[in-house]
Amino acid sequence: MFDLTVIGAGLAGMLAACNAAKAGLKVKVIAQGLGALHWSAGTVDVLGYDPATGTPVSHPLQAIEALSAAQPAHPYALAGTQALAAALDEFQALAAEAGLPYAGAATAGENLWLPSPLGAARPALLAPKAQLAGALAGAPLLIVGLQGMRDFFPELIAENLRRAGHQARAASLPLELVTTRRDSNNVHLALALDDPARHAALGDALAALLQPGERIGLPAIVGLKEHAAALAELRARLGVPVFEVPTLPPSVPGLRLNAALRGHLQRLGVRLELNAEVTGLHAAGGRLTAVETATSSTRPRRHEAHSFLLATGGLLGRGIDSDHAGRVWETALNLPLAALPERTAWFRPGFLDPAGHPLFRSGVAVDRHFQPVDEAGAPVYANLWAAGGILAHADPVQERSLEGIAIATGIAAAREIVATRRPDEEVTS
Amino acid sequence: MTAAQRNEPGTEPVGQASSPAGAPVPAAHASLYELLDQCLKCNICASYCPVAAATDAFPGPKYAGPQAQRFREPGARRTPDHSVDYCSACRVCNEACPSGVKIAELNARAKAKIVQERGIPLRNWLLGRNEVLGRVGSLAPHLANLGMHNPVSRLLAEKVMGIAREAPIPRWSTRGTFGAWLKRTKGRRLKSDKKVVYFHGCSTMYYEPAVGQAAVAVFEHNGYEVIVPPQNCCGLPMLNNGEFPAAAKLYRSNIAKLLPYAEAGLPIVGTSISCVLTLREEAAELLGIDEEASRTVQRATWDMCEWLRDLHERGELRTDLCELAMLLPYHASCQTRAHRMGKPALDVLALVPGLDVRESDARCCGLAGTYGYKVEKYPIAMKVGQEAFEFIEDLGDEVEFVAADSEICRWQLEHGTHKAARHPAEVLAAAYGLYDLRKRQLVTKPGG
Amino acid sequence: MNHIQADILVIGGGATGLGIAWDAALRGLRVVLVEKHDLATGTTGRFHGLLHSGGRYAVKDPQSAVECIAENRILRRTHSHCIEDTGGFFVVTPEDEGEYPDAFRAACAKAGIPCDEIPVAEALRREPRLNPRISRVFEVPDGGADSFLAAHATAQAATQAGARILVYHEVLRLLVEAGGSGTRVTGARVRDVARGEELEVHAALTVNAAGAWAGRVAATAGLEVNVIPGKGIMLATSQRIVHTVINRCRMPGDGDIIVPAHTVAVVGTTDRHVSDPDELTIEPWEVSLLMAEGAKLVPSLDRARIVRAWAGVRPLYQQRQCDATRDATRAFALLDHASCDDLPGLLTIIGGKWTTFRLMAEKVVDRACEQLGVTKPCRTAETPVPGAEQGRYWLGHRLHEVEEQALQGQLVCECELVTRAMLEHAALANPTHSLDDLRRDLRLGMGPCQGAFCTYRAVGMLHEMAMRASAAPGDGGAWDVATMSSPAQTPRPAAGAAPAAMRQGANPLLRGFLEERWRGLWPILWGAQLRQERLNQVLYQCLMNADHLPDDGQGGAGCSI
Repeated sequence: MFDLTVIGAGLAGMLAACNAAKAGLKVKVIAQGLGALHWSAGTVDVLGYDPATGTPVSHPLQAIEALSAAQPAHPYALAGTQALAAALDEFQALAAEAGLPYAGAATAGENLWLPSPLGAARPALLAPKAQLAGALAGAPLLIVGLQGMRDFFPELIAENLRRAGHQARAASLPLELVTTRRDSNNVHLALALDDPARHAALGDALAALLQPGERIGLPAIVGLKEHAAALAELRARLGVPVFEVPTLPPSVPGLRLNAALRGHLQRLGVRLELNAEVTGLHAAGGRLTAVETATSSTRPRRHEAHSFLLATGGLLGRGIDSDHAGRVWETALNLPLAALPERTAWFRPGFLDPAGHPLFRSGVAVDRHFQPVDEAGAPVYANLWAAGGILAHADPVQERSLEGIAIATGIAAAREIVATRRPDEEVTS
Repeated sequence: MTAAQRNEPGTEPVGQASSPAGAPVPAAHASLYELLDQCLKCNICASYCPVAAATDAFPGPKYAGPQAQRFREPGARRTPDHSVDYCSACRVCNEACPSGVKIAELNARAKAKIVQERGIPLRNWLLGRNEVLGRVGSLAPHLANLGMHNPVSRLLAEKVMGIAREAPIPRWSTRGTFGAWLKRTKGRRLKSDKKVVYFHGCSTMYYEPAVGQAAVAVFEHNGYEVIVPPQNCCGLPMLNNGEFPAAAKLYRSNIAKLLPYAEAGLPIVGTSISCVLTLREEAAELLGIDEEASRTVQRATWDMCEWLRDLHERGELRTDLCELAMLLPYHASCQTRAHRMGKPALDVLALVPGLDVRESDARCCGLAGTYGYKVEKYPIAMKVGQEAFEFIEDLGDEVEFVAADSEICRWQLEHGTHKAARHPAEVLAAAYGLYDLRKRQLVTKPGG
Repeated sequence: MNHIQADILVIGGGATGLGIAWDAALRGLRVVLVEKHDLATGTTGRFHGLLHSGGRYAVKDPQSAVECIAENRILRRTHSHCIEDTGGFFVVTPEDEGEYPDAFRAACAKAGIPCDEIPVAEALRREPRLNPRISRVFEVPDGGADSFLAAHATAQAATQAGARILVYHEVLRLLVEAGGSGTRVTGARVRDVARGEELEVHAALTVNAAGAWAGRVAATAGLEVNVIPGKGIMLATSQRIVHTVINRCRMPGDGDIIVPAHTVAVVGTTDRHVSDPDELTIEPWEVSLLMAEGAKLVPSLDRARIVRAWAGVRPLYQQRQCDATRDATRAFALLDHASCDDLPGLLTIIGGKWTTFRLMAEKVVDRACEQLGVTKPCRTAETPVPGAEQGRYWLGHRLHEVEEQALQGQLVCECELVTRAMLEHAALANPTHSLDDLRRDLRLGMGPCQGAFCTYRAVGMLHEMAMRASAAPGDGGAWDVATMSSPAQTPRPAAGAAPAAMRQGANPLLRGFLEERWRGLWPILWGAQLRQERLNQVLYQCLMNADHLPDDGQGGAGCSI
C-alpha cells in the first residue's frame, strides 16, 4: 500500500511527492491532467503586490511577515516565513539537480523585475537562468522576435519598456531561420531550436543585429530538451547576455520545469497516473481509506493509501467547480469551502480591479498542519492534507504568489505527512 | 467473493464525492459534447501531441477536436475539415488535459463523419478488415508471407494501395493459428471449477499465437480452466478508419457471443489491450450504444495484466516465479492510457525476481493502429516513435527484449529497434518456467 | 466648421437607418448617415439573430406575419451571405397544451407561412437535445441572421451607390431654422468623436432612425417622441446546442426562443421597461429566468456552458392622439412631424423587427421621396448587396476555408477562426476604432475563451501595423465587406495608414477590450466559463501584468508617425 497518494500533478503536488519520496515514503500521484505550470511565465512568483494596498513588493519575505500578521489565515501565515524560505531552497535544489537552475536577484531576497510579453515589468523572486539576464535595470535591451510568430511582439514590448524609462529597441528575424513549418506553436519552435544547426544560425543572425552594450531578449523558445546547451551556445556565440521573455501558452519555461519535476518523480520511483479524476471516496473511522477514479470499465479504480494530499489547484485546476445555481463545491472529496462570499459579491465590475474578485479567495481552510478543517476547526479526515491553489484565504493571482504558495504549502504539507509516517525518524531537508 | 461478485463494482463509496445534491456529474460520466464545453483553449494538449510535433499536416488536438467541433453540423451538406484525419488517436491529449475533454474521441467521431460523407478509400477499407486478411493468409502462411513480404509486393502495395512499403506488417504464423493449436491440444486443457473466458483477438489468432499459448499457460498454472468461445474481430481497425456501421456489426456480434459467459459471472480476459478497450468502452462510446447486453459484457471484461493484478491483490496469484535477471524496457500503449487503470503490467512484472523493468517515458510508438501503415503517415509514425526507440536504445546493448501490452507497439518497437518484443504475459509465463521467451514457445515439462 | 450638404440626413446606423441610406442612394438621392458609435451597436447588434418566418406573429399580429414571410424570402436573395437556412421548430411543451397550437397552424396557413407538422420523433432525431416530452412540432422557414455582416454589407452597398456613412459621429442637436414658410428641421450639428471636432450636415429632409434614442434626438428640436426602452437580455451558449431555431408554440413571452447563431446558440429573451437605453444592467433573476425557461426547450441547458450575456433595448413607441396612422402597423411607427408637430423636414421611424428592416426603409424612403418630389421606385428588393454572391452562410464555412488553404498558422482568434489577414484588412478597410469594433466585424473574441489569446495577438498585430505605417491613422475606409468573413478570400493589405484603432494606443486598446468582454461575462460566470476567466486572469495579470503597464499619453501613442 502507498504511504501517500497525492491528488493533483501541479507544482504543489509534484513538489510534495518529491519531498515525501525523498524521505523514503512510497508515493503515488493521481491527476485529471497537467497543471498550471504550462500557462505560467516559468518564474517563481512569491509576492508581487500587497493584497491590501496593491503596492509593489520589493522584499517578498519581509512583506510576508507583515502580511501574516494582518492575515493570520493566509497560507503563508500558516506555513511561516522560515518554512517558506526552506521550501524555496528545496525547490532550487531540485531544479538545479535537474539541470534547470533557478536564481534570484543580485541582492538576496529582492524581487526581480522582468519584462512581460507586453513589456510591463513583472515581479518574480526566482527565475530560471534563461530569464535572469532580462532583469530590467541594466544594459540596453534589444528585443528580437520572429516575423509571423503570433505570440510575441517585440515592438510593443520595446515601446512599453521605453515608456517605463528603459533603453530598449526591437528587431525581427525571419521565421524560416527557426522553422519551415507553416504552423507552429511555441513548443514546436523550441523543439526546432534543439537542433544545434538552427541555434547556430540564429546566433549568427542575432550577431548581425547587435549593437555594442546591448543584451538580447528572445521569446522563450530557446530549446526544449537541449535548452541548456542552446542557451549556452547562443551566449557564447554572441558574447552578451541573452535572455528569454515568456509568451502566451504553451509556456516553454513551464514545460521545462514540469519535465524536470516529472524526471525527479520518475527517478524517485513515484508512480504518476494521469487521466484519473476522483469520482468517489471511501472513509472509515474519520480516516480516508481510498479514493476512486473512473476507468474504461464500470469498475472504478481504487487508490488506497495511508495518507492523502489534496493539491487540485482551486478553480483554476478544477479542484473547485460551480454551477448556474450558484453552488460551489470542492470536486474531489466534497470538503467544506471557506471564505465563500454571497453570490452577488463574487465579482467586481472591473476585470483588472486591483482589489481582485472576492470569489477567488475561497477554498479549503486548513490548520497549521495543513489539514483541511471543518467549521469547528477540527480536521475533516485524520489522514488528509491540502496544499496549493485549493487553499482558502489567498488570491494568488491578485497578489502574484501562485508559485510561492504552491511551493511553500506543498512542501510544508509533505513534511507534516512524512512526520506522521515516520515520527521516530529525523526528517532532514 | 463469487465470480459474479467480482464482476460487480466494489463496495459503494461513502459519500459520492463530487455531487452535492443536484450538482453536475464528474467529467468521467458526462457526454462527449458536453465535455467539449470544458475546453479552456489552454494549449496543454497541443504542447504534448506527438503528431503535431512531427508534422504540421496535423494542426493539433485542440484545433481538430474541441475547436473545430463548434463548426461541425450534423447533416451538413459537406464536412468542413480533413486535417483531423492525421490524428493518430494516441490519446496523449486526453491524458494531459486538465479539463477532462475527450479530445481523441471527438476526433474519432469527426473522422467517421468524413468517411460517411466521402466514403472510405479502398486501402482504409482493407486495413479495417484485419480478421479477413488474417484468415485468408493463414490458409497458406508461408506463401502469404512470401507474397506479402518481398520488395516487389511491398512496392506495389505502396504505389497502388498506399500501404507504406516499410511499415511493419506482421507475418502470418507459420506454426499454425492459435485456433489450430487449441484444437490440437484440446486434451491437455485443465478442467476446473474456476473458469476464465479468453478473448484472443486477431493478432494472437493469426500472427502471434504464442501470446495466446503463454496466456493459457498462465491461466492454467493459476488453476483456471480456459474457455475460448467463438468470437470475432473487435472492430477497432474499422473504428479507427471511421467505418462505424461495419464496426457496429462486429461489436454486436461479439456481445451476442460473449453475453452468456458474462451473465454466468465469468471474467472475459484479453491479451490484446486494444481489443479489450474496444469491447469495454470505446465501441459503445463511439457508436453511441447504450444497451443492457453491452453493459453486461463490458462489466465482465478485463485486460490480462489487470486481471492478474487483481488476482494478486486478493492474494490468489501464484508467486512461484523463478528469477529472470534482465533489463526489460516496458512501453505502455495508447490503450493502456485510455484504460485509466494505471499500468498493471508494471505491477505484475514487479513480482518477478531479478527483473529490472524500466518504464518508457515515450508518448507513443507511432504506429497507432492502422495509422502508420498508410504511406502518407508512415514517416510521421517513425518520427513520433523516435522517442520510444531512443529510450530503448539508450538502455544499452544488454537489452534483449522489450515488453508491450499491444501487438501494434510490439511490431513497431521491433521495427524501430530490432529488439524482440514480448507481451508481459509471455514474460510471466517464462518466470513460471512454462515458456521459452527467446523461442516464443511453451516449454514441454518432463512428465507432461 | 465643416458643412456637408445632402438631400437626406439619416440619423442612426442600425439596420433601419442603413436600409434607408441604401434605398435612398439607389434612388439617386444624396444621403449622409451619421451614427454615434460603430454600426449595429444598438438594437440591431443586440437581438437574437432571428430571421422571422412570421410564425411568432401569425396569431398575435397577422399583418406583421405576412410582412415577415415576404421579407424573409427577399433577404435570402439580397443578403444571402448573412442568412443561414436553419429552419425553425415551434414546439409544444407540456406547459403549452391547449388551443394555441391549432390556432397557430391555421394562422400560418392564412398568412402564407409554410408550416408543416412533423413527428416528434423526427424532430428529436434532428435535434437530440430537445425536450423529449414535447408533444407536437411544427416546422417553419425561420432562419439565422447575421445582423453585423448585414449592416456592413448594406453600408457598403449604400456607399457604392453614393451615400456617405459616418460612424463615430454623434448628433448634438437637430438644426431648426426659421424660414419663409415657417420653421423646419434643416439638418443636424454633429460631433466627430474620433477627432473631437464638430460639423454640420444640412439636408432637405432628416430621418430620425435612432431607435431607442429617437426620443432624445427629437427632444433636441423640442419634440416629444415617447420611446420607452424595453430591455431584453440574451445568453449565448458556447457551442450550438441546437442547429434549428426552436420556438415555444404559445403567445410570445419571455425566454421562449433559442436561435443558433454562428458557433453559439442564443437563448432569449426578457422584456422590462427601463428609463435609460445607455444604462442596461443584467440582473441575476433575468439570467435565472432564461436558464429555467430555456431548459423547457433544451433540458441540458443547465449543464451547458454559457459564454456571454448581453442586453439589448427595443424601442417601444407610445402613441399620442394625433399621430398619423397611415403608415403605422402595430409593428412600427412612421411619424411625419410636419403634420403632427408642425415642424417639417423631419421624419421619425421607430420600432419594427430586423426581418422587416428593408420594408420599413422602403416605406420611409417612399414618404421621403413624396416630400422631396422624387419619383424613383424602390429597387432594394432586387438588388443583392456586396457579398451576397458568396451564397448562403453555413456553419462550417470558415473551417472549410482554413482547411482548404491551410491557414491554421495564420489564426489570430482560434475560437472563431479569424486570420491575421482578416484582422489587418478590417482594421484598414473598415472604420474601426477599438477592438470591440473589430469584434463586430470579424467575431474576434466571441468564442469560448472570450479573447484570452486573440486580445494580445490583435493588439500586437495592430501595433505592428502602426509601426509599419506610412501615414497617420485615418478614419478607416468605406468598408470592404464582401470578404470580411472569409479566411480564404481576404487579401493581405499592403502597409498604408495606421489603423484607426491605434489612435488610442496599444495599452488602452488591450485593457479596453478585456474590460468590455468582462461586462458580458461576470453575470454568467460559473462552471467552465468561470475557470476560463480565471485562466484569462493568469494570462493578463500574472503573465502579462497588463494592469501595471506604463501610463499612456493621449492619442498618437503607439504610432510611428
